Amino acid sequence: MTVSSPPRRRLLEVCEAHALTGLTVVLIVVFALLPATQETFPTTGNLQVTVGAQAVLLAISLAVLLPLIANVWDFSPGATAGLASVLGASYGASSGSVTVAVLVAAGTGLAIGLVNGVLVTVAKINSVIATFGMTILIAGIVQWKSDGNSIVEGIPQGLLDFGAANFLGLPAVAWLAFALAAAIFYLLRHTPYGRYLYAVGSSRPAATLVGIRVDLVTLSAFVIGGLMAGLAGALQLARSGAGNPTIGPGFTLPAFAAVFLGAIAITPGRWNVWGMVIAIVFLGALNSGLNLAGVDPYINNFANGFALLTGVGVANLIARRRGRALTTS
Amino acid sequence: MNDGRGPLLRIAGASKAFAGNPALSGVDFDVRPGEIHALVGSNGSGKSTLIKILAGIYSADSGTLEMNGAVHDLRGFTPAAAHAAALRFVHQERSTFGDLSVSDNLSLGRGYETGPMACIRGQAVRARTQAVLTRFNVDADPDAPLASLPQSAQTMVAIARALQDQPETGSGVLVLDEPTAPLPPDEADLLLRALRRYADSGQPIVFVSHRLEEILEVADRITVLRDGCRVAVSGKGELDHDGLVELIVGGSVTGNGHADVARRQADPVLRSRAARGGAVRDISLTVCRGEVVGLTGFVGSGCSAFLRLVFGAQQLEGGEIEIGDAPARFRSPRDGVRADVAYVPADRASHAVFAGESVKDNLTVASVSRYWNGFRLRHAEELADVRRDMERFSIQAPSASAPLLNLSGGNQQKVVVARWLRRRPRLILLDEPTQAVDVGARAHLWQAIRRACDDGAAALVASSDVEELAQVCDRVAIVRAGRIAHEVDGDDVTSEQLVELLHSAGPAS
Repeated sequence: MTVSSPPRRRLLEVCEAHALTGLTVVLIVVFALLPATQETFPTTGNLQVTVGAQAVLLAISLAVLLPLIANVWDFSPGATAGLASVLGASYGASSGSVTVAVLVAAGTGLAIGLVNGVLVTVAKINSVIATFGMTILIAGIVQWKSDGNSIVEGIPQGLLDFGAANFLGLPAVAWLAFALAAAIFYLLRHTPYGRYLYAVGSSRPAATLVGIRVDLVTLSAFVIGGLMAGLAGALQLARSGAGNPTIGPGFTLPAFAAVFLGAIAITPGRWNVWGMVIAIVFLGALNSGLNLAGVDPYINNFANGFALLTGVGVANLIARRRGRALTTS
Repeated sequence: MNDGRGPLLRIAGASKAFAGNPALSGVDFDVRPGEIHALVGSNGSGKSTLIKILAGIYSADSGTLEMNGAVHDLRGFTPAAAHAAALRFVHQERSTFGDLSVSDNLSLGRGYETGPMACIRGQAVRARTQAVLTRFNVDADPDAPLASLPQSAQTMVAIARALQDQPETGSGVLVLDEPTAPLPPDEADLLLRALRRYADSGQPIVFVSHRLEEILEVADRITVLRDGCRVAVSGKGELDHDGLVELIVGGSVTGNGHADVARRQADPVLRSRAARGGAVRDISLTVCRGEVVGLTGFVGSGCSAFLRLVFGAQQLEGGEIEIGDAPARFRSPRDGVRADVAYVPADRASHAVFAGESVKDNLTVASVSRYWNGFRLRHAEELADVRRDMERFSIQAPSASAPLLNLSGGNQQKVVVARWLRRRPRLILLDEPTQAVDVGARAHLWQAIRRACDDGAAALVASSDVEELAQVCDRVAIVRAGRIAHEVDGDDVTSEQLVELLHSAGPAS
């Protein structure tokens, strides 16, 4: 397995790990220089709007990422975030307290994560089916609680202020989402728990036979992911000032796209936090630029789908040539 | 077609080396029409290498294959070429689909009769299946799920599938790799009788087996391989059981490195009394500090199951197991790990390794918590330890961060064993620890295990490789039908003695 020219190989690996980052920079430069967008794209206003919008996506993507590392799927984070924002808005409005609003949102996420985890590890339901069913169930609860109307009245002012605040030129909600990403990174990289999670995802029988409590680890991935989705709901509520019953589920597919695309960056072939963050920046810049260029909305879908498929396809091709494990194939 | 007594298939001078170690050295082998030709030898004798060369899975370093008069070069022989040369294989690994019907099993790969719009013509498929089943004397309903058939019939379906498209009985050669290994004795008997019938109707069969009685009974000729060379070809009735054992083992091999008897009476690490669970019916066994104890038996005898029972991977249904001085009521492998028991499973690929994870993470997965300082993992210390372990266990890898799947089988196994030994377990359970491990790595593995035992651990090894057990074990128990049938000790631990005992008493009492 030793290669004739290790330095050259290492260089290639570095290039591969940071290709998406480089591409993101190129994309931003292109939109900043393009005649159609040079007026609007490189502005503080656009930066703040784009980054603010991606903050919620980032938190939801973390909820998708954790179970995937354990090789189980959670399709419910978008819907969970939606329910968390509706319940957070409703209890926040009735109590007038920011703390209550945030705790209710976070608690909603935790509870749904726990139920998902129990369905998968105790009732032994396939994770795709369990969380798919949960998504439908949540849609019913949201409809019931909100009657299909956004809750806009009486949202605690402190929450709205936080949603509108900027810190060091970026929205406070984005800093918070970034802090969540850092916390998950810490968990994955710097604690034994992270090792166990990757081990469970790599081989459940082998993990069982080295004494890892596979079901507990899997359950915890759903619970922590659920917490992230609940907090994403709180972020959404703070940013938009409304408990919107329709907005949640729409986040799920973009979150998966970000996690998948992120697996080709930083530590290629492995689900990882910073690759996912870069993928979110990349997709955010891409969509913002296209919107500002005034293209039809369907072009965005083309671009997003194309980016995901080429990115993952090329990464798999490179990995196969090197005989490496593929997370994304 | 070949009508005379001359061979149908003739292999001349087949040689193959792996990384400079010869696995097969100039072996000649031929098969005559309508004969059952048994191929025997201990593990590592080269018989699986020969079969894989025949199947085109390995490309030989030299040698030729002559089939029906056409000569092929064994260098660059491919599975497609083997198929074209009318060689048909039923390998040891399951290749049938238990959930699917008999007719699906016979149609997949070959194709279905179809009508307009590619719809399957059920009548025609059923009729063809019935015809094939009749031809091969398999008593089964074409629509029954394969798994509902007796095991011998399932194997016969696999054979029928391999042979169904032969233009004429006996125009090709059927190669069976240990077809009776997973079968209980009465089922094996049924299968052997069917094979005899196929051979009598003109079908030549190459038959690989470890069960010497059945070979002596069913084979027309026997070729014995040892250390990659053909040591004998003999006809039916020319050899008896003892003669065959002698040819396989090649003179007597004396046991060595046996722990002295006094030391091991001292300090029992594992005490099992009438343990029962899974394939284990009733096993009582004591293993003491410093000892390496072997367990051997045929597939399904309960050797592997006993290791799982001790580790907690299999529920104890009766009897008692003590680890150290405390009764062990393990409900899961986790309990076993916490009691300082280590377990190296037989199926490395799916039960032991984390293929995409790094060498480092694989090595420390069972002991990573020792690097936790209450706030974060001490990565530098972990890496330094891993590098030291890689050196100590001679693990050859591009780097500590390389994914484990980039390592050879032998080096992967060293990682798995090192993973446990770095925890300093008091009992090490190893199931077929040197399967698919090259000779060099084997020596390193045993060195490491012996070193751990000299430092106060005990090892219990289940293996079908009696030669290896004779070399490394202080004591060996032969397990049959979930019970210990014999136990040999001290200077009696020779491969000859083990083969003898393994094959001696009739199957399952």
